[in-house]
Amino acid sequence: MKAGLRLWTGRRLVVLLALVLFGYCAVHLGPRVMVLGEGADRFSTIKKFLGAAFVPALVDQSPNMPEGAAPFLVRVGEGLVRTFRYAVVAMSLAVPLGIGLGFFGSSAWWPGSVDYGRPKLWRRVVRGGLRVLRWSCRGLIALMRSVHELIWAMFFLSAIGDAPVTACVALALPFAGTLGKVFSELVDEEGQEARSVLMAGGATPLQAFVGVLIPQAFPGLLTYALYRFECALRSSAVLGFIGIETLGLGIRRSFENLYFREVWTQLFVLIIVIVVVDRIGARLRARLNRGVARKQLAGELSEAALRRTAPRDWMMRGAGVFALLLVMLSWNVGAPLANGLTGVRQEERLARFVTKLTPVPARPADRLAGWEERREAWSENQGEVGAWAWALWKKPGAKALGNTVVIATAAVVLAGIGAALLLPLGTRALATAEPFGLMGVASGWRRRIRLWIGSVVRGFFVVARAVPEYVYAFLLVALLGPSAWPLVFALALHNVGILGRLWGEVAENERPEAAGQLARVGASRGQIYLAGLAPTSFNRFLLFFFYRWETCVREATILGMLGISSLGYHISISRNFLRYDQMLFYVLLGAAVIILGDVLSDVLRRRLRLSR
Amino acid sequence: MFLLMDSVFQIEGVTRRFGAVEALRGVDLRVEEGERVALIGPSGCGKTTLLKVLGAQLAPDEGSLMVLGKDPQGLDERGLRELRSALAFIPQDLGLVQNTRVIQNVVGGGFGKRSLLGALRDLLLPALEERQRIFELLERVGIAEKMYDRVDSLSGGQQQRVAVARSLYQNPQALLADEPISAVDPARARQLLELLVGLCEEEKLTLVVSMHQLELAREFFPRIVGLKAGEVLFDGAVESLGAEEEKNLYELDSIG
Ligand SMILES: Nc1ncnc2c1ncn2[C@@H]1O[C@H](COP(=O)(O)OP(=O)(O)OP(=O)(O)O)[C@@H](O)[C@H]1O
Ligand SMILES: [Mg+2]
Repeated sequence: MKAGLRLWTGRRLVVLLALVLFGYCAVHLGPRVMVLGEGADRFSTIKKFLGAAFVPALVDQSPNMPEGAAPFLVRVGEGLVRTFRYAVVAMSLAVPLGIGLGFFGSSAWWPGSVDYGRPKLWRRVVRGGLRVLRWSCRGLIALMRSVHELIWAMFFLSAIGDAPVTACVALALPFAGTLGKVFSELVDEEGQEARSVLMAGGATPLQAFVGVLIPQAFPGLLTYALYRFECALRSSAVLGFIGIETLGLGIRRSFENLYFREVWTQLFVLIIVIVVVDRIGARLRARLNRGVARKQLAGELSEAALRRTAPRDWMMRGAGVFALLLVMLSWNVGAPLANGLTGVRQEERLARFVTKLTPVPARPADRLAGWEERREAWSENQGEVGAWAWALWKKPGAKALGNTVVIATAAVVLAGIGAALLLPLGTRALATAEPFGLMGVASGWRRRIRLWIGSVVRGFFVVARAVPEYVYAFLLVALLGPSAWPLVFALALHNVGILGRLWGEVAENERPEAAGQLARVGASRGQIYLAGLAPTSFNRFLLFFFYRWETCVREATILGMLGISSLGYHISISRNFLRYDQMLFYVLLGAAVIILGDVLSDVLRRRLRLSR
Repeated sequence: MFLLMDSVFQIEGVTRRFGAVEALRGVDLRVEEGERVALIGPSGCGKTTLLKVLGAQLAPDEGSLMVLGKDPQGLDERGLRELRSALAFIPQDLGLVQNTRVIQNVVGGGFGKRSLLGALRDLLLPALEERQRIFELLERVGIAEKMYDRVDSLSGGQQQRVAVARSLYQNPQALLADEPISAVDPARARQLLELLVGLCEEEKLTLVVSMHQLELAREFFPRIVGLKAGEVLFDGAVESLGAEEEKNLYELDSIG
């Protein structure tokens, strides 16, 4: 039992470390949670804002709308439709791209990946080539993932022009990267036994791939794609904050005009849509895992009769057709997606952008220079580029990066604390009337209160994660004043919802023996949680925690654009001054940290031998 | 060689290591066509490893190995594929693809003799005569009515039968099964062994099965091979396995 003892100390150490880290971050961020400039004014604004939640607007709050303007609800509806449309378009690009990247990023289908047999020379050459391809795909995936969709969008909008399709492509890139990563992990990790049986019977790796790995990975992939679609909806809404006409734009405008009741209407619409999509996803997932019942076989047993009555999931197929239909509609109906790209001087624009993207010391004299000149300018002034980067790193790069990481870390620890405290009240493993069927039947009202608390907490998780971090941050910065804490709270709030759900699922999937045994000897729910569920699920909890930390860093980079000193702040400032070279530098700084975190969590995962 | 017929399996002095562990140590074994052999021995003695070596899935580190008259180590990939397609293997956890139908699992057995496109066709739109053949196979193992059901909706015993049907679909010359009865109750275990032995008699298949239940091994298998710590401790007809050997085989010190 020595190993068990050591593990337990390890777990305590990890928790302690997280708390110490949070303490450090809190000190670093300072005690100014709220900026009290204008005295009591801030409090009255907050009161007004919160009060407006109870009376969401159904008509324009503005008394003097221009003649012929569409009424408020119609505009919200249009914003919603566009939000949805761009998310669908983005996913229709991201899914095939992600599958392609995932396929070439995996080694499961490679020929000759058997423990046996003499590989011929050409096979070895092929494998070498595939290895190169695989590593390039992985690199591409890492790069695409490490840059936030909003930043991709800002780059693309500057490079190509303001059109919805550019925003969609920007959304699609990081999503494709993430899908690719998950897909390659799914095929590399699942179904290994079935694969080896087929290969033991002479199947080639590629045959085993189509026969085993794809079907085995399919439910996981579909589930993940649905979750990503939900994320795409959120991101699409957030694109509004940089000028694309989605829900976010409406929220921003209403807030800036202090029409708080309008803000709440739009928030509620967003939450409802996300929650509905989330529920539909859960339904489909459950259905996929369960399968459907077969029809009763009438008459004699024969192959044809069996085939005729085979269980076929029409609802699932219907959902597939519906999704295809949505994609087709989104691409083709409504205002053309490429609106705004019709400028004749597209090439010139791109050339100018590339010039501005080149670090100042290495820029060609002519803004529209050809490739030859560009290369020359670059090779001549290469040395100075290093000095330029070093100067940016010293001031303000390093500090901004530090701030970003601190904000993300504080937020994710805060979210972890929140989720850990709420989990025993919310997870279906405990928050039922009779967990494990062993704790005796609760009396009427006690039982009802238990269930009620459970659903309230789970509902809180759902709502908390339905609203994007950026929206929370926008509102909190405006209400609390410009400091880093509103960003921390915004990130934490969203991530409590996500961790609550992910950890809850872990706890629910845990085999009930250990916890059930505790229940049998009369432990309370709190004791079961602390001594049964938390220790057994700890590794998985930790894994999700790291995964969220990574996304928090990515997100914190963006939130700085709201004017708080961090990478995002400098990114948005350089963008405003059209200093794309500096902007690129800051973006790459953030990306480097995220890739580092990615590698670390990969190592950790292998150490803990766990899959997502 | 003047022998007209090769042994199905013939290994001499085979050693296989995993890092520092010697899973097999100088194992000699010869199995003739149509023989039925039970491999017994305590956990970790190397049964699974031996089965995989016989199935040309794991290469021995030392010693010689002939399977169906061929040395797998001398074969190129195509030859290895051909050899393997004549050997069916049922692993302990069955290795079924959980969220697909029974028929899609069964066709997997035939991939060794198919191209990639052929495999795709079998998975998506199997030809009528293939479907008929699978139906008959499933009838023989007793789960015909489940042909189009999802594998994960089947009971453990039924899933075992799917795995048996898959290996028969392969038209193999030998069947290797790793602890097929360790996870079922005694009545089911007997049923399954009856099925396996019956099928192998009909098809003239060579059968090598690993298991822990000595009683059942005695009942169904004319020949028993006892392994301990990677070495063959006993190899012979059922009748000659006495109490002494039995005790020796399961002596406690061998559990690592
Ligand atoms: N892939 C592997 N990597 C490392 N060690 C292995 C591997 N496969 C087997 N071993 C080791 O080789 C030895 C024999 O293992 P094997 O699985 O053949 O035993 P077994 O008789 O099938 O046991 P059981 O009855 O428990 O299935 C064990 O000590 C095992 O730990
Ligand atoms: Mg074994």
